[in-house]
Amino acid sequence: MSVRPEEITVVPRGPEPGGKGGAYRAFGETLRGLRTTMSQMFTKPVTIQYPEEKTPVYPRFRGRHRLHRFEDTGLEKCVGCSLCAAACPAQCIRVVAAENDPENRVSAGERYAAVYEINLARCIFCGYCELACPFDAITMGHDYEMADYNRSDLIFTKEMLLAEPIERAPLRREGE
Amino acid sequence: MPRTQPNRVTLTIDGREIEADEGTMLVDAAREGDVEIPVFCYEPKLGEPVGACRMCLVEIEGIPKLQTSCSTPVRDGMVVHTRTDQVKEAQESVVEFLLVNHPLDCPVCDKGGECPLQDISMGWGPDRNRMVDQKRHFEKPVPLSPLVAIDRERCILCYRCVRFSQEVSEDEQLQLLERGDATFVGTFDDRPYIAPFQGNITELCPVGALTSYTYRFRARPWDIEQGGSVCTLCPSQCNVSFTVRDEEVARVLARDNPEVDDGWLCDKGRYAFQAMYADDRVLGPEVTSDGHSTPASWQEAEETAAEGLASAGSRTAILVGDASNEEGYLLQRILRQALGSGDIDSRRGPGVDGDAALKLADPAITAQTSDIDTADLVIVVGTDPIQSAPSFDLRVRKAVRRNGTALAVATDRPGALEGGATEVDRFHPGGAAAFLEELAGKVKRGRAKTGLAGLIADSEQTVIVWGERIVQGAGGRAAVEALVDLSEAAGLADQEGSGLIGIPETANGRGLREVGCLPDAGPGLSPTGPGRDAGAIREGLESGELEAVVLFGVDPIRDLPDPEGWRRALEAAGHVVAFSLARNESTEFADVLLPLESHAEKDGTVTHPDGRIQRVRPSARRPGEVRPVWQVLTELAAMLGSSTGITSTPEALEAVASAVPFYAGLTDSEIGGRGVRWQERPAASDLGSPSPDLTLYATAPGPFSPLGSGAAGSEADDLPGSFEGGGSGVDDAGVVPPEESTSSPPTPTNGQLLLGTYPNLWADQVVESSPALRFLVPAQRLEVSGPDATRLGLSTGDEVSVRSGEESVNARVAVRAAMPEGACFLIEGTPADNGNRVAGEDGGPTLVEIGPPEVRLELVTAGGGPEGDEAA
Repeated sequence: MSVRPEEITVVPRGPEPGGKGGAYRAFGETLRGLRTTMSQMFTKPVTIQYPEEKTPVYPRFRGRHRLHRFEDTGLEKCVGCSLCAAACPAQCIRVVAAENDPENRVSAGERYAAVYEINLARCIFCGYCELACPFDAITMGHDYEMADYNRSDLIFTKEMLLAEPIERAPLRREGE
Repeated sequence: MPRTQPNRVTLTIDGREIEADEGTMLVDAAREGDVEIPVFCYEPKLGEPVGACRMCLVEIEGIPKLQTSCSTPVRDGMVVHTRTDQVKEAQESVVEFLLVNHPLDCPVCDKGGECPLQDISMGWGPDRNRMVDQKRHFEKPVPLSPLVAIDRERCILCYRCVRFSQEVSEDEQLQLLERGDATFVGTFDDRPYIAPFQGNITELCPVGALTSYTYRFRARPWDIEQGGSVCTLCPSQCNVSFTVRDEEVARVLARDNPEVDDGWLCDKGRYAFQAMYADDRVLGPEVTSDGHSTPASWQEAEETAAEGLASAGSRTAILVGDASNEEGYLLQRILRQALGSGDIDSRRGPGVDGDAALKLADPAITAQTSDIDTADLVIVVGTDPIQSAPSFDLRVRKAVRRNGTALAVATDRPGALEGGATEVDRFHPGGAAAFLEELAGKVKRGRAKTGLAGLIADSEQTVIVWGERIVQGAGGRAAVEALVDLSEAAGLADQEGSGLIGIPETANGRGLREVGCLPDAGPGLSPTGPGRDAGAIREGLESGELEAVVLFGVDPIRDLPDPEGWRRALEAAGHVVAFSLARNESTEFADVLLPLESHAEKDGTVTHPDGRIQRVRPSARRPGEVRPVWQVLTELAAMLGSSTGITSTPEALEAVASAVPFYAGLTDSEIGGRGVRWQERPAASDLGSPSPDLTLYATAPGPFSPLGSGAAGSEADDLPGSFEGGGSGVDDAGVVPPEESTSSPPTPTNGQLLLGTYPNLWADQVVESSPALRFLVPAQRLEVSGPDATRLGLSTGDEVSVRSGEESVNARVAVRAAMPEGACFLIEGTPADNGNRVAGEDGGPTLVEIGPPEVRLELVTAGGGPEGDEAA
């Protein structure tokens, strides 16, 4: 069976080793590479000395969730409607609601979340809970350091989520 | 009014050819043809459509204006459009109009996620709200009753709750008050809505305006699972659906089964689930040693129980209260096969025995529940369904209201159904037999034109709903005969849709009888060697003739006549094994206490009063160390040396089906979600043939030959038909037993009254253990007639004591019209002043004296005494 010309792929051979060309290739290219190295030697390193230093995150970075209170009244914004739990694709949110005592309110509405738990071991940080929340009660914070020794310690309760987090993740500045 | 097959008509909806029954409403026909028309106010269960919400408007060719499809019956050749621009505009306008005043607080609202208004707004509503004005405001949420909260801002005035109250439960308490946009749902003078079926309005409400306090904010639809089962808190056996969150029951919903409950559920069935998680629930086996009850392992508890039963041998008795067919079957098998005793009873006292049950079970003379709907005449004899089986109350009301069924009520105590009755007959307590005999005689002679006999003569389809209470006591046997006579005379057997429905005393009373929990009948009602009935068991234990007793789901000190006698009996018993859901007075005497499953945890079958075998399915987790009871019973049987070979629930059902000839071949899949009436299965023809199980049982005839005798040691003096029962339980020696007298009330002397007791739906431990229902627990009250009250100087509210022999209870007087003269009534099983204490020993009527109240430490008896003194 004959081979048709268009089926033939021509592989060009590289230059033969040795000779002037060879010497240039050995030293010239090395110098060219070194130029990049040398030029970088005098710039600021991009390496971040984690954990002493933290990576700054973008304002819309989706880190650990936070629950919020109204600033004026101090009441919880969450009314325990469970929409976050419904929206969660990883099913890591558990809400048990209860009725507010008018004398001793927890939230602004009739109901409040008696139990609010997020299992961060399961959370995929998609942010759907934030989108579903009709009261902006839950938002994705900037905290991304959540490693722990026990799985059970990764179940964050309402108190933990409401607490003002220790600001550990710096925010990326404008244009950075 | 026999059921007729309606004509079929063909119509076109949105270009689809749809066939429907003539007279069907357009919206239902559309649903059959897979065309959805949105509705709010339409609910066929509530009766005639009202067309209030205008959501279901459709275009019908030939009619210029849009029509409400919920109130337009289909016609042949009708052409309907549901998606034209005109219809769409109307739908959007209606939704927008409803949302004018409806608050958008869905995240807080409990209905969110299962709300028809949400769904319809999404599906058919406009996506914009042009409303800028203030919405109407009410105080919210306010209690409509202790069980239901109302949020009037959310109400869309669909009338459903009001229609339920006025046309279904007929309590007429809910009303629409004010006019126009100020209209709101409420009760007269803002009084709490107290009615036994009020929970249904929370299920009917298409928005979150009516919510149950027990379920408020407990869960969202995506947090829960629904488990279909059967409620076994009363003989109605309504189909329910348990809402389960975190493996615990959070709510009970009705599960529509037109053959059983018509989609309604009483408040006991709806709210008494709280008792499953009450503190008094028995959570694990306990063994008593040296007077102290200590938790034990199952192994240890079962061994202790088996040891005690084995050493008692044939001197063992079993009392069954609340049990499934499988449990009942296993219990009687343990007793009859392993222990060689026949002393088992599932009744309060001598009542329907095996022979009578067999006669009454004849499929020809039994009606099914839905026959009530189409009957010409419904006769309610000796029962007040609202107290004994509430869903029958709604069923009868529906027949009377919608189908013009004539209702006749013949009872000793005035009941709730009498308002709508065509004919009301009254007999004195214990006088049912005489009444029925007379009635049967009149019907037989066929000359009666008036009265109940006249009604029966005029009616084609007759359903008789009778309470088993009438066949208790010494006159019981005669009452059974009279009932059978009456059904023959009225020709119930020949008429389709006619027959008897007997309301048993306990939730699965019929099933327990049929699987063999009777002293004189084994599985399939096959006659066995006679054993002791409940009263004789009590006396046997007291006298030491019986050594051990198993109490299964029954609290004899509370539920059965003569509580003091039972206390003595249990004290005297050598070995008491109590299976109980909750701790009670009787479990105090238990040597071995074993936990029972609740009806949300049980897997088994039960038999409805009309013979429908239904399946109770497990929906929730068993708390603590509770184990499947059938398993415990099979292990006990094995320890007692008669292995059953049952290792799973289907096998348990199989064992029941093979032991009861007329259940033969029954399987879970045949029962399905709606149950199956055994009368409609081919095996029904085996009614009366002996059970193959009988060969297993070594039941020797006990020392007590008289069947159904309430008095141990007496000679066989109350033979069938004989009324002279000298030792038959009425302990006032020398007093004429009431059964002997004719239908005219006896004339009590010296301030004596003839006492009848009646079960009250709320006088039950599960009600007390349910915080939501606790307000309904009745205090003891003595119902007397006006003339008697005048004669004895009593008036409503007086506190008196009711004395019979040694025993007395305190009660408040309630003077009632329509009471039979010379009679009075007390409630059975109240937490304090239990009416059973003064009731006749066999559960029948007895004579009592009314006197001043017994002084108790916590009571200051200032008023009410003097009148009582005069009376005595």
